[in-house]
Amino acid sequence: MAPKKRIKLLPKIQEGINEESFQQNSFIKRKRLSLLDKTKSDITKDENLNESTDEVQQTDYIEYKDEFDTSDEEVNIVFLLNIQNDIRNTVGNIPMNWYDDYPHIGYDWEGKQILKPHSEDQLDYFLKRMEDPNFWKTVKDKQTGKYVVLSDEDVEIIHRLESSKIPDITFNEYAPWIDWFTNEVMKMPLRKFPEHKRSFLPSRIEAKKVCKMVHALKMGYLKTKKQKAEERLKKREKKFYLLWKTDDTAEEMRRIHDHIPAPKRHLPGHAESYNPPTEYLFNKKELREWEKQAETPWKRKLHFIPQKYSSLLEVPIYTDFLKERFTRCLDLYLCPRARKMRLTIEPEDLLPKLPSPRDLQPFPSVMSVVYKGHTDMIRCMSIDPIGQYLISGSDDMSVKVWEISTGRCMRTIHVGGIVRSIDWCPNKALSLVTVAADRKLLLINPGVGDTLIVKKTDSILRDASEEAFAVSEKVKAVIQWENSSDEKWEDGIRIIINHFKEIKEVTWHGRGDYFATVMTEGGNRSVVIHQVSTRRSQIPFAKPKGLVQCILFHPVRPFLFVATQKNVRIYDLVKQELFKKLLTFAQWISSMAIHPGYYLIHSGDNLIVGTYDRKILWFDLDLSTKPYKTLRLHRNAVRAVAFHKRYPLFASCSDDRSVIISHGMVYNDLLQNPLIVPLKLHRDHEQYNDFAVLNVVFHPTQPWVFSCGADATIRLYS
Amino acid sequence: MNNWQKSDSQIQVKFLTKQEKYAVPDTPFYVPHNVTPAGLNELLNQLLCEGASDSKNKKFQFSFLINDEILHSNLAEYIAENNISSEHDICIEYIEATPAPEPLDCLEHDDWVSAVHMSSEWILSGCYDNSLHIWSGESKHKHLLSCTSHSGPIKGVSWIQMWINENGNSMASFVSVSQDQTALLWEWNIDENVAKPIFVYRGHERSINCVHAKPSESVFVTGGWDCTLKIWLTDFNAINNEEELSAKRHKRDRINAPLTQVPKSTLQGHKEAISTVQWTEDNDIMSASWDHTIKLWDAEYGGIKTEIVGNKSIFNAHYSHLNHLIITCSADRHIRLYDSKSSEGSIVKKIFSSHKEWVQSVRWSTTAEHLFVSGSFDNDLKLWDIRSCNTPLFDLLGHEDKILCCDWSKPELIISGSADRTLRLYSVK
Repeated sequence: MAPKKRIKLLPKIQEGINEESFQQNSFIKRKRLSLLDKTKSDITKDENLNESTDEVQQTDYIEYKDEFDTSDEEVNIVFLLNIQNDIRNTVGNIPMNWYDDYPHIGYDWEGKQILKPHSEDQLDYFLKRMEDPNFWKTVKDKQTGKYVVLSDEDVEIIHRLESSKIPDITFNEYAPWIDWFTNEVMKMPLRKFPEHKRSFLPSRIEAKKVCKMVHALKMGYLKTKKQKAEERLKKREKKFYLLWKTDDTAEEMRRIHDHIPAPKRHLPGHAESYNPPTEYLFNKKELREWEKQAETPWKRKLHFIPQKYSSLLEVPIYTDFLKERFTRCLDLYLCPRARKMRLTIEPEDLLPKLPSPRDLQPFPSVMSVVYKGHTDMIRCMSIDPIGQYLISGSDDMSVKVWEISTGRCMRTIHVGGIVRSIDWCPNKALSLVTVAADRKLLLINPGVGDTLIVKKTDSILRDASEEAFAVSEKVKAVIQWENSSDEKWEDGIRIIINHFKEIKEVTWHGRGDYFATVMTEGGNRSVVIHQVSTRRSQIPFAKPKGLVQCILFHPVRPFLFVATQKNVRIYDLVKQELFKKLLTFAQWISSMAIHPGYYLIHSGDNLIVGTYDRKILWFDLDLSTKPYKTLRLHRNAVRAVAFHKRYPLFASCSDDRSVIISHGMVYNDLLQNPLIVPLKLHRDHEQYNDFAVLNVVFHPTQPWVFSCGADATIRLYS
Repeated sequence: MNNWQKSDSQIQVKFLTKQEKYAVPDTPFYVPHNVTPAGLNELLNQLLCEGASDSKNKKFQFSFLINDEILHSNLAEYIAENNISSEHDICIEYIEATPAPEPLDCLEHDDWVSAVHMSSEWILSGCYDNSLHIWSGESKHKHLLSCTSHSGPIKGVSWIQMWINENGNSMASFVSVSQDQTALLWEWNIDENVAKPIFVYRGHERSINCVHAKPSESVFVTGGWDCTLKIWLTDFNAINNEEELSAKRHKRDRINAPLTQVPKSTLQGHKEAISTVQWTEDNDIMSASWDHTIKLWDAEYGGIKTEIVGNKSIFNAHYSHLNHLIITCSADRHIRLYDSKSSEGSIVKKIFSSHKEWVQSVRWSTTAEHLFVSGSFDNDLKLWDIRSCNTPLFDLLGHEDKILCCDWSKPELIISGSADRTLRLYSVK
C-alpha cells in the first residue's frame, strides 16, 4: 500500500489536522536531520521548542510493526530500533488498577519491574495535542502505561471495522460459492435417516398464533393490509364539518323540551248539550239580542243558539262543523310562539331573613305583675336607678311609689294636678323625682331607698336658700322657684317650680343636675332648662321652634334633642348652635328615645322616634338625617318608645292596646347596620276613650318592661 | 287476678319496693295498658291482703315510680311519652304516697305577710305594716304578741335560740330584717310575754331582703339591695359586757333603746340585689341574687367557693341538708333544681313548671328528701316531689292573693304568708 493513498484518506477522518501536518509527519526524518545543522536565523524560537519536545518524546513511542505492514521503510527502522529494548508487560490480562498503588506497572520478560512512566499533566497533554502530528493515532497502552502510535495499517483496519467491512483487506468477498449442501438428492447424502414425524404434522403453536391473529382481526385490533390502505385513503380525503350542528340539535330538541301546547278548546257546557236545562235555552228577549248582534257576532256570549232535542237521534248534522274545524286550524297556526316564563315566588321568600326570636332571648315574654291602685289613667312612670322602686303619675292627681318585686304600693303622694310626666333623678346620690303636674313642676323626695341619701337630699334641698341669682326678668316671668310648705314637705314635695303653661314633659340630664321641661304651647319659651344645685332656670331658645313635643339629653355629649311636630333638631349646648336636623317625614311626633350605648360605645348614635301616625322611626345619626328604618308595627298612634340600658331591646306602646318589644342590636362594627327584629306583642291593657297604653319603661338592669295605661294599671312583663 | 288477664292489651309489670313491710312477691303481673295509678294501687292492696294472714282490711295509698319518676297519667301514656319498650317487664317501684296536707288554720294579719319562720313551738311572722307577730304553734294558733320597732316593711325573720334565763323564765331570741336597712335582734321573755329589741344592726346601705340565723350558733347573715352579704354576731355575753359599758357611757339614753351593732364581716361579689341567704354546711353560706347567680361562700375566709350561673334573676333559693340540692325560683314560672356539689355547677338538673306566675318562695322539707313547697304570685302553694317535674303532688289552695313567703321548718306544718293578709297553715302527716 502506497503512503500516498494513506495521506489522501486520513484528512477525511481526523479533523483539525491539516494536510501540512501530515506532510510534516512524512518528513520527520528530514527534519531531524535538519535539526543537526539548523541555524539560529532559520528557525523561530517557537519552532525550536516544538522540535525539542518532539524529539524527547519520540524515544518513548513504541511502534508496533503490523505483520501486514512491511512496505514502509521508515517505520521499519523504528521497529528495528525498538526490538532491542522490548518492554512488553508479562502480568497478563488483569485489571491494571491493581497496580495503582505501586510505582511499577508490571514485569518485563526478564522479571524486572516496569516502572510507571512519568504521568502527564493537562498542560503536557494539551501541548502534545497541539503540536504532535501523530497525536490523533496515539493510544495509551494500559499494560505498560506508554503511548503507542498506531501504524497506518492499524488505522486502516479501524476504518474498515467502522464502515462494517471485513477488516482483512485481502479477503475476497466475491469468491466463487462452493455449494456444500445442495437440494439435489445425492447418491451419498451427508445425512441419511428418515424424516421425523413432527415434520409432517401441522404445528400446534403456529395454529395458536394463527387463532390469535384471526381473533384480533375479528375484533378489529389487527387490520389487514387492505383495511389499512383504505384508512389511509380516507385520511387523505377532504373532510367536511357541519358548522351549525349544535343549533340544529337545539331545534330538534326544542320541540321536545320546550313544547308549546296548542291552545285549549273550551269544554262543552250545559248550553252545548242536546238536551239543555230550560234556563239555558234562549227566551225571546235573548233571542232578539242574539239576532241583533248578527253583524258583530264576536260580541255574542254564545256563538250558537242552544237547542233542545228529545233524543240524540234527533240531533241534526252540525252545520258549523267545517267552519269550526277551520277556526281551530287557524288557532293552531296562529298560536303565539312565545314562551311565557312564569315566576314562582313564595311569599316567604319576600320577607327579610331575620333571626328567630328564640335566639334573641332574654326579652320580656310574659306578663308577671300588675300594679293596681291608681283610680285614673296612668300617663307616666319612672324607675329608680338601681331598679328597686317604680314611681307612677296618674290623672287621679297622685303619684305612687311601688316596690317592683312584689307590686306593693309603698307610698302615695297627692300632687294636685294631672301628672303628665315624671322622671327619677339618674344621680344615685340623690333621692329625687321630678313630677310635672299641670303647670307645676314638683321636686319630690320619694323617701325610699337608702335612708342616708334620703336625709342628705332633704338637707341639700332645705339648705339651699332662695338666693337671688342674677335671674333675668324674662325668665322670672315664666318660671318661679318656690319652696314647699311644711304640709307639702311632709308629703315629700320639696320644691315647686311654677311654669306659665302646662308642662308636657320633664327629662333629666344623665348626670342628674340639670333637667329640662317642655311646655308645648310656650312658643319661644317652650323649653326651659333647670339646674337643681343652683336653683336656676334658663330658656335656651330665643325663637319659637314650633310645637315642641318632647326633649331629650344626649347620654354622653352636650347635645339636646328637641322634637317638634315633624322634625327632630339636635342642638350643641356648648357651641349653642344647631348641630343636625333629622327629617322624620311624619305628621306628628309623640315621643323619642335615645340609644344608651353599650359600654360607652355608640352612646347616643341611634334614636327612635314614635309618631302619632303609627310609625316608629329608627335614626342612625352617623348614617343619615333620614330614618334608617321605619317600622309600621302598630295599628294606631304610637304613644311612647323606650330603649333598654343594657340589653339590645326597645319597646313601643300604642293606642291599639299593644306593647311591642323589639330587638335592636347596634354593632361595634361601623359597617354593620343595626339589626331590628320585632319580638313580642303584648296586648293586656284595656282601652278607655281611645286611650290604651300610654307609656312604656324598661327596668334598668333586668330584661323587664313596664307599661302603664288608661285602665289605671301598670303591668310588668318579664 | 283473672279479670286483669282478661283485658285485651296488657303490659307485664313487676312491683318493687324498698319498704319491706309492703313487699309483694317478685312475680310479673299483667296489667291493662291503660291502668291508672289508682288501679295499680287497688291491685297492690289486693296483693297485700292475699299475702297477709290476718284479715286486716286496711287500705294503703301508694305512689308508683318508673325510672325514678312518679306516675301520674295512665301507664300507656307514660310509656308512649318516654318511649319505653313494652317488650320487657316494666319495673314499677312503689312507695307509700305522701298524704295530702290538710288546711289547718288561717291567721289574719293587718297587712301583707312578707316573712315567716317557725321554730318548734312558735310561729314568727313579719308584715308590711312594720310589725312582727308571734303565734303559738300548737293546735290553737293563738296570737301571742305583736311588736313594732322597725320603720319599714319586714322582709325576713329568723328564730335564733331559746334558753332559760337566771330568773327561771324561758327566753327566746329572733332576728328581723326590714326595708329600713336595719336588722333587729329581739329577746322574748316567753313567760312574761314581753319582747324587746336588744340590738339594732346597722350597716346595709339599702333595704335588707333576707336573713338566716345559723342554727345553734350565735351568728346570722343578711343580704340586701346594696349587693352585699353581711355577717353579724348575736353573742349575748358580749352584749352584756357592752351593755354595761354603754350604760355607763350613755346614762341619759333610754334603757329600752336597742344598742347598735356593726357587721362582723361583709361579703361582696354580687352585682345586684341579694334575694336569699342561707347557711349550708359548717361555715358555708349560699346566696342567690337578681344578677342570675347563686354563690356559695366560705364565711370564715369570705371567699366564693362555687358559683352557679343561671339565666334569670333568682327570687328565692333553698338548700337541702338532706340531699345537698338547691331549688331556685326566678323571674319566670319555673322552679329549677341545681346540684351544689356537682362540678359542672351551672347545669340545671330539673325544671318544675306548673305555676302560672312568678314563684316567690321555695322551701325544702326538713325530713323528706324529695319534697318541697313553692309559693307563687298565682295564689297557689304547691307541694312537689322532685321525681315529678310537671305535676306537683298537691296544690294547696286557699290564698286569695300573691304568696310572698312560705316555711316548712317544722316537718308537720307548712306555712305560707300572702298579700291577702293571712298566714295559712297546712298540716302534713
